Amino acid sequence: MTLTAILVVAAALFGIGLFGALSQKSFVMLMMGLELMLNGTLLAAVGFWAFTLEGAPKGQLLAILVMAVMAVELAIGFALVVAVYRKRQADVVESLGTLKQ
Amino acid sequence: MTFAPALTTLILFLAIGIWIAAILDAVFYRRISGQGGVSVLSPFYAAAAHLSRQRLTTEAPDRLNWYLAIAGYLAIATIGLAVVPFGPETAVIGIKTSVVLWGACESLVVVLVFLHGWSPNSPLALIGAYRYVAIGLPIMLLSMFVLIAAALPARSLDLRDIVASQEGLWNIIRQPLGLPLFLLLGLSLTLRGPFDYADSADLAGGTSVEDSGANRAGWQVARLAMLVGFSAIAASTFLGGYLGPILPGIVWLAIKTLILMAVVIGLSHLLARMPVARMLGLIWKFLLPIAFVDLLLAGLVALA
Amino acid sequence: MTDIAFYALSALAIWSGWRVFRVDSMIRATFALMVSFICVGGIALLMSADYIGIATVFMMAVEMMVMGLFMVMFMMNPAGLNPMQMVHQHRFSIGAGIAAFIGLTVAVLATNLPNNPLPAGRDTLHDLGVELLGGSMLIFETAGVTLLATMVGAVVLSSRPGRFGDSDAGAVPPGLQPGGQPAGRKVEKSGGHGGHGGDSSHDMNMKGAPKSDDAPHKRHGKMPEEES
Repeated sequence: MTLTAILVVAAALFGIGLFGALSQKSFVMLMMGLELMLNGTLLAAVGFWAFTLEGAPKGQLLAILVMAVMAVELAIGFALVVAVYRKRQADVVESLGTLKQ
Repeated sequence: MTFAPALTTLILFLAIGIWIAAILDAVFYRRISGQGGVSVLSPFYAAAAHLSRQRLTTEAPDRLNWYLAIAGYLAIATIGLAVVPFGPETAVIGIKTSVVLWGACESLVVVLVFLHGWSPNSPLALIGAYRYVAIGLPIMLLSMFVLIAAALPARSLDLRDIVASQEGLWNIIRQPLGLPLFLLLGLSLTLRGPFDYADSADLAGGTSVEDSGANRAGWQVARLAMLVGFSAIAASTFLGGYLGPILPGIVWLAIKTLILMAVVIGLSHLLARMPVARMLGLIWKFLLPIAFVDLLLAGLVALA
Repeated sequence: MTDIAFYALSALAIWSGWRVFRVDSMIRATFALMVSFICVGGIALLMSADYIGIATVFMMAVEMMVMGLFMVMFMMNPAGLNPMQMVHQHRFSIGAGIAAFIGLTVAVLATNLPNNPLPAGRDTLHDLGVELLGGSMLIFETAGVTLLATMVGAVVLSSRPGRFGDSDAGAVPPGLQPGGQPAGRKVEKSGGHGGHGGDSSHDMNMKGAPKSDDAPHKRHGKMPEEES
């Protein structure tokens, strides 16, 4: 287990997440792509902490912040999905050509 | 105790616990409904009856998740029991964050019960799964505050340290609000009584309505195993776990686990179930503030 | 031993991450993502991040549960029982994903990474606690306030009644063709079917709507000719 290996795995997760976020039609699936990208970020953060910081706890703090970002993304994302669904009865990206009414 | 004996103890503890829990459940039910006694072998008769029955299936079920839900529920119960210390410094899973691990188990239970209701592709099971998630998530939140409060006097997230910190005074006396709130979580985790929104009779069995044969037996065993695991965790967190005079630690742990098991089973047969909306209101508006008060008191005591 | 566990967990994390966008059933997709997170949590545990690793499992189980609920509520085809096309700009996305992976990997391999590993036997949990409520308290508290603001924002965004009336007042579903009739179920005046097929506006996205034989009230009757 080396830092390089961990970062490559993180890059793979990030790449898959990017693919998902760009390719999925449904809002909820799109958010799953974002989550997977953040998953890679989390892994990279913990990897850097474990292998380059000599145990300085700032690295763990970064990982906790990534988790907080995930929670915020999820909550706001779902709230937006609910709001959009109310207004447009739509749950796919294509139906949002404009942000106007 | 090293790892192998601890693991053997765990398996024995779990197996005997499941057997006793099944008998206790039947005894309470029969006593309340005014029927006769129960044979100590009756759980085995029931298991044999289930196992010899045909396994029915539904149209287009999610078969993988169906099996995973049953096996996972049993595994989660075992992991819960594995973080319980059987003696000083002895637990099968001895890590510094064992309370957080138990929290992860709690949240996975909600996932697995949902999967169990989702996978048969059957309406009543799905309704049960949905109702359970609505209730299971907030009640889990509540238990987090209770567990953090219990961890405060030990200044550690390790269940072994939490038990050791109760040497002089048990947490049930130090934090009287903790155990009742935690027992509610137990009712929810084991799908019992007032918190049985998943497998209840009003849905003809809820998430397990389509289970038959060995699947049904497995799910019931997993529920009982969860009861044993939960009771052991609660006994360690609030009743001092293995601490006690004269008798060896494991015996004390078993006695306390047995008492809590009986309390949970009794509550599950005596308390009535509420509509989901009212229960949600009760949890969010009444029980959650009480959990805050519990945490606040524990914090003030820790500062004093 | 650690290496084997690491490679196994990594492989499972990547594979289940890939399965998220490949399976038909939305519930399977959600929980494949959860498996991916649990694997990353396991890798963090291997790197002796005791708290982060388990907290990841804990948080993600709850998050994915909520996500699964939303999936079932909002997706037109949560169980994947009907074939349907759920992706757009497919080629471009694959290209972008592969480009991101290769770019990051090249960057990782080209960089001379510093090597100051975690000292063995360090109490990482204690370190983290002291850091969170000591040196980095402001950051931690800011995260807490952000989460609070998120909660308020989420409730405001998703609540139906608002300052200027209900949020769905006058809402019309998008048309099946650009500028066409709004999709969705027409309210049937005859009554008696209340509660059935309430979300059939989803069906517009299905290739070959299911032949529901239990629907004498023509649940899909208002659809144009099925696209094939």
